[in-house]
Amino acid sequence: MTTGRPKAVELVGVSRTYGPGTPEEVRALRDVSVRFEPGAFVSVEGPSGCGKTTLLNLLGLLDEPTGGEVRWDGRAVTLATDRARARMRLEEVGFIFQRFYLLPMLTAQENVELPMIANRVPRAERRRRASELLREVGLAGREQAYPHRLSGGEEQRVAIARALSNRPGLLLADEPTGELDSRNASAILDLLVRVRADRNATLVVVTHNPEVAARASRHLEMKDGGIASDRTDG
Amino acid sequence: MNRLGRGGALRHARLQVVLAVAAIATSVALPVILVSVGGGVAAHELSDLENSGYEIVVTTSGSHGIENAHTQAEWVLGHVPSVTAASPVLSVPVVSFNRTGANTSVLAEGVVPQEFTATLGPTQAGLFPHPLPLGDPTDSVHFDNGSYAGPATYDALVSSTYAASYHVGPGSRIVLAPSTNESAGVSYNVTGTFGVSVSFAQPAGAFAVVVPLSDLQGLTHYANGTGTVVPDAADSIEVAVTGAASASPSAIAAAAAAIHARMPYYSVTTLSQQAEQLKAAADVLTGFYLALSSVGLAVGVLFLALVLLRKVEAGRRTIGIRRALGIPARLIASGILRDGAMLAAGGAVVGVAGGYFVVVALARWGSSTVREAAGLAVFDPLELGAIVVGLVALSLLASAVAVRAALRIEIVEALR
Repeated sequence: MTTGRPKAVELVGVSRTYGPGTPEEVRALRDVSVRFEPGAFVSVEGPSGCGKTTLLNLLGLLDEPTGGEVRWDGRAVTLATDRARARMRLEEVGFIFQRFYLLPMLTAQENVELPMIANRVPRAERRRRASELLREVGLAGREQAYPHRLSGGEEQRVAIARALSNRPGLLLADEPTGELDSRNASAILDLLVRVRADRNATLVVVTHNPEVAARASRHLEMKDGGIASDRTDG
Repeated sequence: MNRLGRGGALRHARLQVVLAVAAIATSVALPVILVSVGGGVAAHELSDLENSGYEIVVTTSGSHGIENAHTQAEWVLGHVPSVTAASPVLSVPVVSFNRTGANTSVLAEGVVPQEFTATLGPTQAGLFPHPLPLGDPTDSVHFDNGSYAGPATYDALVSSTYAASYHVGPGSRIVLAPSTNESAGVSYNVTGTFGVSVSFAQPAGAFAVVVPLSDLQGLTHYANGTGTVVPDAADSIEVAVTGAASASPSAIAAAAAAIHARMPYYSVTTLSQQAEQLKAAADVLTGFYLALSSVGLAVGVLFLALVLLRKVEAGRRTIGIRRALGIPARLIASGILRDGAMLAAGGAVVGVAGGYFVVVALARWGSSTVREAAGLAVFDPLELGAIVVGLVALSLLASAVAVRAALRIEIVEALR
């Protein structure tokens, strides 16, 4: 098991077309090849509809390419079974979504515990780890609150805690500050940068926010389903 | 509690839950009512048969088709080994006239008093006065070797229901006629009353009279034979064998064979054969009830499938989130299966209880026949368990449909 180890992820000649052969056909990604080194912090920028989220979904095995190959640590994962892909997501990927996607019928603590339950983490251990993660993201004392009782910033903190619960080597964030005000956005950004550094995880962030992008060390600019530019700081 | 697989918490869909449970409960209550009442009535009939006082019965197709009933019964009694009584019985609806001149239909049973009494089972015997107060115990005086020239007794027993309704009793007189023409009737002296037991196989009715066989034959013209009517007609001859022989199937079979040799054109059946026929008929009815019930169960299960599919559809996003997080498909499936099983179990419990209370209510407040039938209901735990197990098994199928739908949800689509 590679849980906790930063992942090198790679797209090799990847294309993704939605509704191929229909009038609604959309070519979201076109022959994209890009590699993300272990422990890197990469921002992916570009206008709406350029394929940023599709790229993130393919990296995290939420979606399958219509052409090309996705590799994790050099291993092709594109053709893995649904079950194996689910296992890989559970153990090795932490997702942070723009709209948080917490489960409304679960408390903050239960939301954080959820991936650990599926990963068969013993009850006492997952309780301890969930409390610790919530404390780490500044939500000590809010463990039993349901999502509808939390502010947007708090919800995103819970989502980050959930993403970290199985100690993933790959963190994928899709507009993590998109629904937050500037104060909360800044705080969430600080948190993301800190947890990535603490865990040395590979972090790929899709963002429109220049402030978020500025914190990354590598910057991908996307346009019309392809990589328009790829720049590394310093 | 493991909340991983929840396909959408039940508490967020109370109305759907209530409707699903109600539909399933209705589909369970139906077989519970049908099977318990049907089974109870069949068991009662079987018990009646097994407790009757005769072991062999001679019948023929059509009504009143046994010819020379007095003579045949006497022959059976005198010539067939082990036979202790042979009772010819004729049942004919007649019209009775009371003191006000009003008429009512009653079922008249013509019997040979001594033989009739000897072929009654313990329960039936308790309903009749003993000895039967119908004058000539052997009904031979009036019959007079088939001439019907001897004096009739004109004695009659009336059912307690009839007696209560028309205020008649021992010492009263009633007129019985083969039709509504009172002038064709004969005046009878009421010498006693008898009780009426529940009987569904033969709904004798609450209004009945018992008279000597030859009297009824004379009254209804089933005595000397005219047209299509056979002389000295009866519907059946019930035959009792001695106590020792009654426990021996071979002795009963030998007696039946001897009777059949004498009366080859009639049906001669033993009590055990009748019991088998009754059981077979009851099994057919039970099968019919279950088939009917399965339609109800199918509707309930379809409703369950629709509710679960609706829940999956409403919970697309949460299912998508779970799958995005890598929650295994089996845990998502188990959540839906658990929801289905809970709904089915809830419906089954409510349905069984509902069916039970409906039967109890029918037994208390139903119309007379329904009340009597419901009063005989038997709640067999095995049958009820089989209904519940069947429902839960079907609910798993319904849940499987919902599981399939849930696992076909595209994660990316669900998260949009």
